[in-house]
Amino acid sequence: MEFEQIYKTYWDRIFRLCMGFVNDYDAAQDLAQETFIIVWQKLETFRNESSIGTWIFRIASNNCLKQIEKQKRFPKSELPVHLSEEKLTSLEPQIQFLYKCIAELPETDRIIISLELEDIKQNEIAKIVGLSEANVRVKIHRIKEKLTQKFKENGQR
Amino acid sequence: MDNDNNIDFKDLWKKQSVSQPDITDLLARINKFKKTGLRCLWLTNILLLGTSAFIAFVWFYYQPQFISTKIGIVLVILAMVIYLMVYNKLLGNYKNIEANQTNQEYLQNLIVIKKKQNFMQTKLMALYFVLLTIGICLYMYEYASRMTAWMAILTYGITLLWMLFNWLYIHPKQTKKQQEKINSLIEKFEEVNHQLES
Repeated sequence: MEFEQIYKTYWDRIFRLCMGFVNDYDAAQDLAQETFIIVWQKLETFRNESSIGTWIFRIASNNCLKQIEKQKRFPKSELPVHLSEEKLTSLEPQIQFLYKCIAELPETDRIIISLELEDIKQNEIAKIVGLSEANVRVKIHRIKEKLTQKFKENGQR
Repeated sequence: MDNDNNIDFKDLWKKQSVSQPDITDLLARINKFKKTGLRCLWLTNILLLGTSAFIAFVWFYYQPQFISTKIGIVLVILAMVIYLMVYNKLLGNYKNIEANQTNQEYLQNLIVIKKKQNFMQTKLMALYFVLLTIGICLYMYEYASRMTAWMAILTYGITLLWMLFNWLYIHPKQTKKQQEKINSLIEKFEEVNHQLES
């Protein structure tokens, strides 16, 4: 697959994964770009052992984990996100709330639920994260319960 | 959405606004990244190798007579070479950390790398300083032996004071923050890794 084609196909999905992880538009944009830089660097080494999707999502989720390091260096401000209206990121409150809830989950849960919401098969998620399929299924179930609970508490339905 | 348990998360998830930057932006960033990525590595290498080359030049040009001078030179160069080798290897590991692993493997790798970094900043730096100090003291002996006793004591005194100042003041001050950061990172990565075990 050509890099440009990969970029066009996967950008939105990778961006949403990063957004679920950090819940910060600019940071997610940066993370997504970094992911594609790595993809660009490593594309030659990609062998068709796994599907290209699995490969890219692995790179993206690992990159999200790696940026924990940067977070420590630049502690996140407590200001509510999406303050600036001119950025055209003002979303429906429900969407915002979903991303906020996901970004508050434990790190690996964020990745798992983001992949699930991206319609990635559970056996693929298992291959990306490094858990058994059964384990992934249980986790997804629990995370969804947690999210539903939060939506209820918040009166967002 | 009347049913509370049927919130369509997938639908909400995909409605997140996304703007795909133009690919030329990304390519520009790739180019910039290629240029700046390894600058720090190069700088350290050039600096230490340059110093080593200079010391070697002194050896050949001035032809020291005492064996202590030669041992001193070897120790100083050795200190720098050991430091550089570990530094390069570690940075290489970090830059080239295999991106296509499962999250679990990746996290474990990150932990290992951070622990090595920790080792480098503590034990390896100590070794570097010890080798450097002994090396410099041995190296100076030949020249100090030709000075008057007072001058020799003064020369050694200033040199050792400078080394002590570095080791006891500058080094701890520089590394304390980094050390704290690395330790908290190791803790954090271990915690995240633990999430996958439970």
